[in-house]
Amino acid sequence: MPDNNVAIENALPRVDVRQKVVGSAKYAADQYRPNMVFAKFVRFPYGRGKAVSANVEKARRVPGVLEVDVRIDDYQEMPGGRIGHIVAESEAAIEDAIEALDLKFEHERPLTDANLEKQYNGPKPTGNHEAIRAKFKDAAVVVEALYQTQVQTHSCLEPHGSMVDHRGDEVEAWASTQDVTGYHDGLKGRVGNVPGSKVVVHSDYVGGGFGSKFGLRAEGSLAAQIATKYKRPCRVVLDRDEEHLDAGNRPGSIQYMQLAADKNGRILGGKVHCVSVVGFQRGGGGVNNPVGGLYKWGDIEKSEDEITLNFSIPRAFRAPGWPQGVFAVEGMMDELAAALGMDPVEFRQKNETSPRRARQLQTGAELVGWSERKPDGAWPGRVKRGYGVAGALWPKWPTPCEAECRIARDGTVEVRSGVQDIGTGTFTVVTDVACKALGLDRSLVSGLVGKSFYPPGPGSGGSVVSRSLVPAVREACANALKQMVAIVAAEWKVAAADVEYADGVFHSKSTGRKVPWKSVCGVMKDSVLVAHGKWERGWAGESDGSSDCVQFAVVDVDTETGIVRVRKIVAVHSAGEYVNRKTAENQICGGVTQGISYALFENRIQDRQTGAMVNADFLNYKIAGPVDIPDIVPVLDQDDSDTGVRSLGEPATVPTSGAIGNAIANALGVRVRSLPITPEKILAALEPKGASA
Amino acid sequence: MKAFDYAIASNESGALAALERGYRPKASGIDLLDLLKERTAAPDSLVSIADIATLKGIREEDGGIAIGALATLEETGAHAGIRKHFHALAEAAAEAATPQIRARATVGGNICQRPRCWYFRSADFNCLKKGGPTCYAVEGENSFHAVFGNGPCHITHPSNIAPALVAFGAEIVTVAPEDGGRTIRAADFFMLPEDGGIMKENVLKKDELVTEIRLPAAVAGQKSGYVELREKQSFDWPLVSCVAAFNGTKWTIVLGHVAPTPWRAKGSESLLGKAAAITPEIAEKAAAASDRGAKPMSQNAWRLKLVRAAVRRALLLADGKEID
Repeated sequence: MPDNNVAIENALPRVDVRQKVVGSAKYAADQYRPNMVFAKFVRFPYGRGKAVSANVEKARRVPGVLEVDVRIDDYQEMPGGRIGHIVAESEAAIEDAIEALDLKFEHERPLTDANLEKQYNGPKPTGNHEAIRAKFKDAAVVVEALYQTQVQTHSCLEPHGSMVDHRGDEVEAWASTQDVTGYHDGLKGRVGNVPGSKVVVHSDYVGGGFGSKFGLRAEGSLAAQIATKYKRPCRVVLDRDEEHLDAGNRPGSIQYMQLAADKNGRILGGKVHCVSVVGFQRGGGGVNNPVGGLYKWGDIEKSEDEITLNFSIPRAFRAPGWPQGVFAVEGMMDELAAALGMDPVEFRQKNETSPRRARQLQTGAELVGWSERKPDGAWPGRVKRGYGVAGALWPKWPTPCEAECRIARDGTVEVRSGVQDIGTGTFTVVTDVACKALGLDRSLVSGLVGKSFYPPGPGSGGSVVSRSLVPAVREACANALKQMVAIVAAEWKVAAADVEYADGVFHSKSTGRKVPWKSVCGVMKDSVLVAHGKWERGWAGESDGSSDCVQFAVVDVDTETGIVRVRKIVAVHSAGEYVNRKTAENQICGGVTQGISYALFENRIQDRQTGAMVNADFLNYKIAGPVDIPDIVPVLDQDDSDTGVRSLGEPATVPTSGAIGNAIANALGVRVRSLPITPEKILAALEPKGASA
Repeated sequence: MKAFDYAIASNESGALAALERGYRPKASGIDLLDLLKERTAAPDSLVSIADIATLKGIREEDGGIAIGALATLEETGAHAGIRKHFHALAEAAAEAATPQIRARATVGGNICQRPRCWYFRSADFNCLKKGGPTCYAVEGENSFHAVFGNGPCHITHPSNIAPALVAFGAEIVTVAPEDGGRTIRAADFFMLPEDGGIMKENVLKKDELVTEIRLPAAVAGQKSGYVELREKQSFDWPLVSCVAAFNGTKWTIVLGHVAPTPWRAKGSESLLGKAAAITPEIAEKAAAASDRGAKPMSQNAWRLKLVRAAVRRALLLADGKEID
């Protein structure tokens, strides 16, 4: 039975670091072919309305334009709504055709963020605690608050897109996808009569997915349609503004909480009302509050609702629903601790569900210098330092995965699996696990992913890839070694059980003979030896597969300007056994960086009159840059119970905004309960009560 | 992007000849490329002035400093004479954008760049500045728009160096085919919307080219300080910037990124009088007067607090004091 125990823990650079740094790594958007056509969606730019006229004839006459399709009077309810497409010999011709179309629109006042307060009809803090006190007789304190989070767009560095090459009897596609197998499933039904076995999908390098690159998507669908029609390669790659409008977002939220705790600091329970702020189609919200398993919440009465705005549907976004929920519940944890006059770490320890996280709270507190923390608002001077903490966990989602080990006569090894590397280091994981399993170094072993003809593996969702892939790779390698041992045993005319293998050398226990790896490969009957490995749910390595983490933040807040500088994040994560230190730490640092950006900067802004997104770029849609990223201390926390490879990608971004929100509140002595925490909100919070702005 | 003719001028007269024929000038093209990509600008023809040797470099002459229109922000920020005598200008140049952009962006381009208003920059809005009927910021999203100035267009001027040029009494030298060119005081170069600066932000004519920026001879006791406040510390447009400059007899306080032009904080200036030395108390009082004449919009009054902070700090820095 395979398991996923890998105590490799090397610190080598990722295998594709050179290709990525020098630019030789080719992404889907880098794929150009002779005779290729370009296609692009025609989009409605405002929140609600329709195109009322288009000069389609003029657009068709633009040199190089092959096809113009625009739907007039097709009512749209989101900026970026697709109302047609253009196909042309060049991107420039498409631009000219859009100009020539001279689209005219009619639009109505949309629902945007500006209308949120009017739409929210859930409970608000009133200071009336009679009902909750009647329910919880032991309540020493009751705390009540309304938290809000913004809409964050996916903003993958590599835009969404596909290049589909239809050659009549076969199809080849290059896709920016986080699910090669799922993309292949979607594509094979949309390329005419070409059978699925003649449809090949490549996803060699992917510049981020975060949950927004599952399935064929509209871009892949359009590329397939046009390639099939013209029997030419077709490229569809989104622009940056299309990325913001139609490539996915983390929905916003409004969260009302009223919680009671007893005098010993035990949470008794209370009320939670969560409203997801989603797109016009409804759905896709799902705020995770209270966060089950994070603390002992007691008896919680929960209700949920939705507010729809004129924008696109949310997509899964790195731990969907979690950062929103954790920002609010960790804020409430500090508010409860303050009401009880208790230290926030001590209060968490009292309500902690996980011994592992209890340990991480201690480790992190020491590393961050928690003892330097002053009471809320008590740091002297204009620039106030604050310390904050937040935690998270990540469940296990066992997912089947297959891999194949191929050994060639020259001694080189390819290990293949139909998963993909969305920037996380999957090439490196496959390579290093295979190296370990085969007793070889990287000079002989290539870990390969991202092709639809490789054995199927899971999509990159739920942080399942490494944990499902590692046991499959180990199994494939173990099966390959068995065949190699059989070859040696046959040569030496000994029983297979007599042959041992370690570190590139086969050895007979009875005769003492030795033979190196390459010599055995050289006498293989077939040119390639192939062995399979498979991992399925319920197999070994999943006895306690969840991940836990705690993050601490240190911030300096300038009380004159409201400008926040995050100085340090200590991120203590358990992820079982890790394969490669650099990629594991990189996952943590990336998650923390995205969390800082979410806490302080990122925010979709729609014009309240028209619904157009006014910051659909990388200048006004603010994302943390190098100077905004502090000293991040990733800690890979382990103990004897931490067996197997576990999830790391998603939990890494979950607690960051909560820790920063708490650190800012500690610095200021007042709390901003709304993300992003901007200078404007901080200055408003510092305004003396009753004073006008 | 619309196709366009492209010419390369090797000297000023060649550039002027092209401008007369309707070509638009391009130096490093940093702002222009954005405008083209956004479809905010669609010129038929461009002339590159990037190779014109007479527009390059920084010279010290007659006690003053002449900065060629093609001198980069990086050169300006690092120039020893500018750092010494016009410190706030060097700081403003050195803080702009990113190292990559500062290595290419020219001072001429910096003062002539178009505003960053997100309505102006979006093809989805036919705003006043593009000849349209209305300023969408008034009823829309105006948190980052002007807090000073009367409209009807509410942009903030995007130039990082412009406030320092106004504060130091710099002159902008131009060439033009008709009258040979002129010398314009920086304070007169930028135009408020109410003075005709709606479709453009300065007094340049279509066929007129900035050749250099002249800083006057430094005087004894001259000192200056620069502060810019940003939400992000990497590559973000300032929420407000401030230059405080003392010319030996009086203070000039100029704000950036808060009005359609560099904006004199006259309330602060009059309060300071002729006091050369800045105490924390004086800085505080001058800062408190900085919002005189402010006309904040529906969402941006909060930035007046940042104006106060920037004025206070710029004064203290100018006088070599710690910001407490």
